[in-house]
Amino acid sequence: MKDFQLAWRNIWRNKRRTLITAASIFFAVFFALVMRSFQLGTYDSLYKNVIESYSGYLQVQHQDYSEEPILDNSFEADQEMLSKIESDTNVIDVVPRLESYALAAAGSRTQGVMVLGVDPEKEERLSDMNERLVKYKLTDEAINALRSEELPARTKKLLDLFRNEAYSSTGRMMLDLGISAEDSAVILPLLRKEASFTNNYLSESFPQGLLVGSGLSEFLKINVGDTLVLMGQGYHGASAAGNFIVAGIIKLPSPDIDKRIVYMPLETARDLFAARGLATTVVLSIKNFSDKSVISTARRLNSFVEPPLAVKTWKELNSLLLNQMEADSRSGMIMIGILYLVIAFGVFGTVLMMMAERRCEFGMLVSVGMQKRKLAKVVTIEMFMMGLLGVISGIIASLPPVIYGHVRPLRFTGEFARMYEDYGMEPVMPTQLPDTYYLWQTLVVLIIISIAIIFSVRKIFRINVIDSLKA
Amino acid sequence: MIIQVAWKNVWRNKTRSLIVISSVAVGVFAGVFAMAAINSSVVQRIDAAINEELSHIQVNNKEFRSSSDISDLIADFSSADSLVRSIPGVDATTGRIIIRGIASTSTKSAGVEINGIDVGKETEMFDLEKKVIAGTGTYFDADTKFNSVLIGEKLAKDLNIIRYILTTDAVARLDSMKIPSDVLAKLEPVYGERFTSDKKFNRELEKLLSPEEYKRYAILIKEAAWSYREGSKIILTFLDMDNNQTGAGFRVCGIFRTNNDMFEGLSVFVPAGELRTLTGIKEGSWHRLIARLDNTDLSDKITLQAREALPGYEVLNWKEIFPDLAMIADFMGQIYGVFMVIILAALAFGIVNTMLMAVLERTKELGMLAAIGMNRRKIFGMIMFESIFLSIIGGFAGMGIAEAVIEATQKNGINLMKYSEGMEAFGYSAHLFPTIDTGFFVTTTILIVMTGILASIYPARKALKLNPVEAIRTE
Repeated sequence: MKDFQLAWRNIWRNKRRTLITAASIFFAVFFALVMRSFQLGTYDSLYKNVIESYSGYLQVQHQDYSEEPILDNSFEADQEMLSKIESDTNVIDVVPRLESYALAAAGSRTQGVMVLGVDPEKEERLSDMNERLVKYKLTDEAINALRSEELPARTKKLLDLFRNEAYSSTGRMMLDLGISAEDSAVILPLLRKEASFTNNYLSESFPQGLLVGSGLSEFLKINVGDTLVLMGQGYHGASAAGNFIVAGIIKLPSPDIDKRIVYMPLETARDLFAARGLATTVVLSIKNFSDKSVISTARRLNSFVEPPLAVKTWKELNSLLLNQMEADSRSGMIMIGILYLVIAFGVFGTVLMMMAERRCEFGMLVSVGMQKRKLAKVVTIEMFMMGLLGVISGIIASLPPVIYGHVRPLRFTGEFARMYEDYGMEPVMPTQLPDTYYLWQTLVVLIIISIAIIFSVRKIFRINVIDSLKA
Repeated sequence: MIIQVAWKNVWRNKTRSLIVISSVAVGVFAGVFAMAAINSSVVQRIDAAINEELSHIQVNNKEFRSSSDISDLIADFSSADSLVRSIPGVDATTGRIIIRGIASTSTKSAGVEINGIDVGKETEMFDLEKKVIAGTGTYFDADTKFNSVLIGEKLAKDLNIIRYILTTDAVARLDSMKIPSDVLAKLEPVYGERFTSDKKFNRELEKLLSPEEYKRYAILIKEAAWSYREGSKIILTFLDMDNNQTGAGFRVCGIFRTNNDMFEGLSVFVPAGELRTLTGIKEGSWHRLIARLDNTDLSDKITLQAREALPGYEVLNWKEIFPDLAMIADFMGQIYGVFMVIILAALAFGIVNTMLMAVLERTKELGMLAAIGMNRRKIFGMIMFESIFLSIIGGFAGMGIAEAVIEATQKNGINLMKYSEGMEAFGYSAHLFPTIDTGFFVTTTILIVMTGILASIYPARKALKLNPVEAIRTE
């Protein structure tokens, strides 16, 4: 305890130096944490978008399906297997899908699309499809009508940038159009009046009705009620073609998927592709989706689905995306590494100076009988205190931006938003709440401090009392 | 005079100065080198976009890009062509026929963009000729037979034209490359077996080899097993001018490899003449006019001129076709700035600390200088110059090392093989050849000097606040 007291007093003897050293550590920790938090948060939201709007956390597939996503790698989704899977403690629901590619044509425009045959009710429960139906659309007429109303100048300008944009949530539209919460009371009713969009969800009673992505509807220039022709290849080479009606338009957060997706009732898809009773994937809706429990659930389920079927986790299903994000993550870590390298030099410099400056003092202490071991201990405690001061203040300072960024994620508007969408990402940058990455930063700083401590302790043990007293 | 004193002061405590200098050097080196690596990926992407995919400026019929309709040709190609050519700064032009279609083999099919090209002119404007993988053929040379097609490696894989087979030849080659015989023995079960995809072969290798061996030899084994049946045929189907379905079998005359999976998977090239006979597009009509400029920096200026000269057409440059790329290129400068400022701010703490120490231990001396009449401005200047020297020596050393390392790595590049799959899907190469503009060194130097100045303010103020009478008395 005495040692602690001594160390505590020592570090405040030269306040300025202590504060500068702690400040440099604080600076590095703060930057590293905030930067990392944004990076991790962005990956998380990207993964979440892909998982929730498309892949789900776990899927049952034919083992070759992910490499060769063709109908011939489909399987019979028999009730016995499905109910067996459903009985697993972590599984809430099993949702079969039939997925294939087709050429969609409307008028003279064509586009290759992904056709997803889904069970309307189950899919709604799995991925909140109703929430994703388009509620507003900034059509030319809507924009013209809105122009004549009294709107803030900024909103009027933004209307042009977001011409033809579809929205499934009021909040997102307000953000894009730069409408503040105070103005919303006046402006929202206007938007509701001019830009509202009526839409229907899939239903088994209207088997010809489709849902199309808003990006796709934009490209093909189709609207609710229009006819869409789908042509493709069915099971075992059968030809597949049919006329369908657009029942609704949905907006998916991942722009890549939004531009090329068509949903239809499962039975309709089975008819179209001559794939009676088949499914290409069965998506599992699960209770606990932490990494650990996803993996353990997959392992458990894999023991009773028989080859050629296999249960795959979202990580296996999106390996390309993970690889991209890992490359990006590495580049972020290199930047943080450089920052810490610089800080390490700074800390080392300070320690060196401290040792030089206190040579006389140390010599004196040793000569009046202080054990070198005890002296080393005090110095070690001093340096840990300085390091922790920097780390803890850095962590505390990082909390407000990190927490705020999580609750109210940074959203890009205008040009930046477009660039993000061109890369297939949602233009939003949330932060990640404190997690293991906070521990890592602390650890790195402690390592830096430890190296400095080793250096100074060695110096203390080499003190020559006579020489240092003369200094 | 003050500068000389400051310089000598720096070297009074060598160890301390060297620590700060080396910390600045390391920070600047790391920052510059990291920037060079990131910059290289953007520069390489832009080079690839211009030299392999787009060239500088493209002219289309106004409808063509949104409709992809075969009949949306450039109405009067020859006059448009001569108009563009007459603009100073335009190096070469060519026309392309572009048709959406489907490429298929007996087992697989894929949507493609068929480019009908004028082979002679294209070789002057694009680098694709150099990207043909050795052993797969050529870029339409004199022996190339009628109905030949050049395709990308990605498409070849998608269509199962490229496979992995450990033939006797491949094993012999591996043996000569000093791969241990016990590794080869482990591979024996799959000799001669055909793997239709990269992943399947990987999976098999992972099963057969230990992780250590896989890490070390998998790339070599895959290279040896990479096999391509020369003269493979693919069938291209598309619509002709009368909207009737047409098509023909084409012999693959070569396979190109770029760093862009999207481009490799989508674009196929055929001499224009063959497409004309199949579709009925007349001699001299094209869908797209492509112009290459003397210099990429001219893009914006010449686009405007071309747009004025050709009011009836859509004129776009590479920046407008790939807006994200242009934006990243424009933002690169700002990203450099922010990153260097963060590093230098971290370094500033070290400099402040050292300078403060230098001031405090010289209290007596500074007091004396003040007492014998050195004015405050000179004292301030002396301390500021000391701080600038510390930062600039470190900065130059760091930039020197960075330049040397950039030079050294430029020859072989840095290969981030592990991330090639993800990066190439976006069109970025994972094999980086670090490079940086000279302008960046100038910016960095300015930032370093500013850091030196800013870091000296606090210690210098401390020095000015000293009371000469008290300062002289301190021990």
